[in-house]
Amino acid sequence: MTTLLSSLTYEGIPVWRHAQVLKWTTQIVSGILVVTLVVWFFANLANAIRDRNIPFGFWFLDNEYLTPIGQFYLPYETSDSYLYAFMVAFANTLIVSVIGVILATVLGIMVGIARMSGNWIVSRAALGFIEFFRNVPLLVQLYFWFTVVLALPRAREGYVFADSFYLSNAGLWAPWPTIESPGAALAWVALAAAAVFAGVTVYRRRLRRETLTGAASYPVWLGIGAALGIGAAAWLVIGAASGVAPFVIESPSPEGAFGRIQGGQSASGGMIALLAGLVMYTAAFIAEIVRAGIQSVSRGQRESARALGLSWAVTLRNVTFPQALRVIVPPLISQYLNLTKNSSLASAIGFSDLFSVAETMTQKAPTLSIFIMVMLAYLSLSLTYSLIGNLYNRTLRG
Amino acid sequence: MLPSARAEAWLRANLFSTWYNSALTVASVVLLGTVLWYGLRWVFFDANWSVISTLGGLMVIGRYNVEAACPGQDCLWRPQVSLLLLTALFGMGWGIAGGGLTKRIAIGVAVVVSAFALLPYGMDTMGMDVRLLLAANIPAVLAGWALARYTPLGSPKWLAISCVVVFLLILLLLRGLSQVPGLQPVPVTEWGGLMLNLLLAVIGIAGSLPIGIGLALGRRSRLPVVKSMCVVFIEVFRGVPLITLLFMSVRIVPLAFPENFPLNPIVSAAVVITLFSSAYMAENIRGGLQALHPGQAEAARALGLAGWQTMMLISLPQAIRNVIPAIVGQFISLFKDTSLVYIISLQDVVGISRAFIRGNVEFLASHKELYIFLALVFWVFTYGMSYVSRRIEQNLRIGER
Repeated sequence: MTTLLSSLTYEGIPVWRHAQVLKWTTQIVSGILVVTLVVWFFANLANAIRDRNIPFGFWFLDNEYLTPIGQFYLPYETSDSYLYAFMVAFANTLIVSVIGVILATVLGIMVGIARMSGNWIVSRAALGFIEFFRNVPLLVQLYFWFTVVLALPRAREGYVFADSFYLSNAGLWAPWPTIESPGAALAWVALAAAAVFAGVTVYRRRLRRETLTGAASYPVWLGIGAALGIGAAAWLVIGAASGVAPFVIESPSPEGAFGRIQGGQSASGGMIALLAGLVMYTAAFIAEIVRAGIQSVSRGQRESARALGLSWAVTLRNVTFPQALRVIVPPLISQYLNLTKNSSLASAIGFSDLFSVAETMTQKAPTLSIFIMVMLAYLSLSLTYSLIGNLYNRTLRG
Repeated sequence: MLPSARAEAWLRANLFSTWYNSALTVASVVLLGTVLWYGLRWVFFDANWSVISTLGGLMVIGRYNVEAACPGQDCLWRPQVSLLLLTALFGMGWGIAGGGLTKRIAIGVAVVVSAFALLPYGMDTMGMDVRLLLAANIPAVLAGWALARYTPLGSPKWLAISCVVVFLLILLLLRGLSQVPGLQPVPVTEWGGLMLNLLLAVIGIAGSLPIGIGLALGRRSRLPVVKSMCVVFIEVFRGVPLITLLFMSVRIVPLAFPENFPLNPIVSAAVVITLFSSAYMAENIRGGLQALHPGQAEAARALGLAGWQTMMLISLPQAIRNVIPAIVGQFISLFKDTSLVYIISLQDVVGISRAFIRGNVEFLASHKELYIFLALVFWVFTYGMSYVSRRIEQNLRIGER
């Protein structure tokens, strides 16, 4: 026995003390364990699909879905295919996510700054907001907001603001630009993008001038002015040249015997409740991130900037904020991702996001196939967010 | 300085330092005052809170004690005794710590819980036995304290062992045994209410910390196979919403098991919540390990500690201490996420209250009251957790000086 054990050596070292051998053994053993588990799981799934007639496959994707979707932003009809309906639902998730991210960022920054205010009441109110919305499950908040939305008056007796915003328990209708001549619209969008680019360039150059020479150069005002000026000029020129404005603002208005509201853009009650919940919840987290980021910039930075005669606003914009961004952006992006994933709770309040449409689809199509698609969709979203975060981190370092 | 002068100085410094600060103060007082005025008026005059009192025990233990779950006898004492065991554990913690924060938590929990014995229900809805078992939480906490103080059980090691024993005892008590006459089995599917949220949260917290540590170490490991497996696990579980995972755990995972295999939805939920949370936990702990100065590990290696000793005794304790706020934040998230089990039709406190309100037409108008109350219930627990975490952090920082 002793001879057998002592003969188990590698490079003259007993194998159970040879670092290289130990490492490889760990890797091989853990690899085999995990692979076995995964193979066992999928082999059993495959067996179940074969022996128990569990439906699986992707043949159904081209069939007509034949089920209404509550609200959609891509044009949708019940005769569209499963694949297209899936895309419509995915677009809904994306739209909620984008609007939610923008609103939550704005609100979060406001609350975060209020939290740091020297004013005791403002700072306490912000603290109360953060501690409440952060600590209550999003699901409960969503149910609450949905109840609030449902408690609004019915569509015919809803609130009307300025003859163009209609708010009722069915949702919100708002004016929205419509396109009369696609060519004109496209041309204007291209020029508007150029205008924004010009504005940014002006801002950068004026800021550089101000930093280098110290002469007041008004980068913000000139930048915004350049962008707006070029945009407006483009609008007028295109309007005069093609005879129609690039976009026409269309206001919603009640029509027909039942006062159904036509025109404009609408957001269903479920979507409003979903956005309200997501925005408040995420803003509470963002506020804390913003505060931590700004506090991470040492006090001396601010004080020396003020001592050099920079105004409060310039200090915040050009000294504090760029440094705080390094700390803020990574957790901020993970909050954006959380918001996107949390939007799957829409199924609880009847908004047709990716998850809730997928859940409905499983009644007529293979659950397994649908949920593979759902997982891939969410994973691709999350990888996109991680990619953006990593790219940003790289630019900071580089 | 006179108190009034001091108050004036405080007001001047914090509310009226400049003209715009004064304007801000006035504006916020007006705004907050209006909100508070209408809010309080609604709370005290317009709101109908009877939905909360009617729900009562349903919110706490769900359908555990209904006739279908517990035919022919009263099972209410079983969750109640479980609660007593839990408070006794708090008492033990107090006995070992000898005072301070632990003492306040233990006494606070016992007092709050036993205060429920005084709820103004009629004796037929809430009998004397129920009230006495609730009031017994104060003796229970004292018993736990005495146990830790005057017996050899008063050490952290025994507290850890007692935690495990009590957890298993509670599971046994709630589950029941068909052989024992007074302990007939209660189907797990009938467990619900806040009890279910707490149970899932405790399992999730106890499970996700060690798994998360393992995953974090795996992700930082130099072994490519181990590392890539951990990365895939973490990224997949962090990349999808929890409800898709919960949904798959009841709709797809059973397919990989033999037909009619008794997969328990609560166990599925507990496993999924634990794994989901451990992926986030791993990232928090990895952050802590990354922030640690490499000199710590190098010094430990130079002193002759082995690799695993360096990790377990030097790096990990410091890393975990540095990320306590993030870890507790994850615990709070986990507790909030237990409300998502509605997706697999478990009746947690949110699910069962909604089911009740939908089944009783007279309460259809009381949704708002219900959700505000539920928000407060969750808030008490989560805020308590974040308060304790802040205090622990402060205590640790004092130790650093």
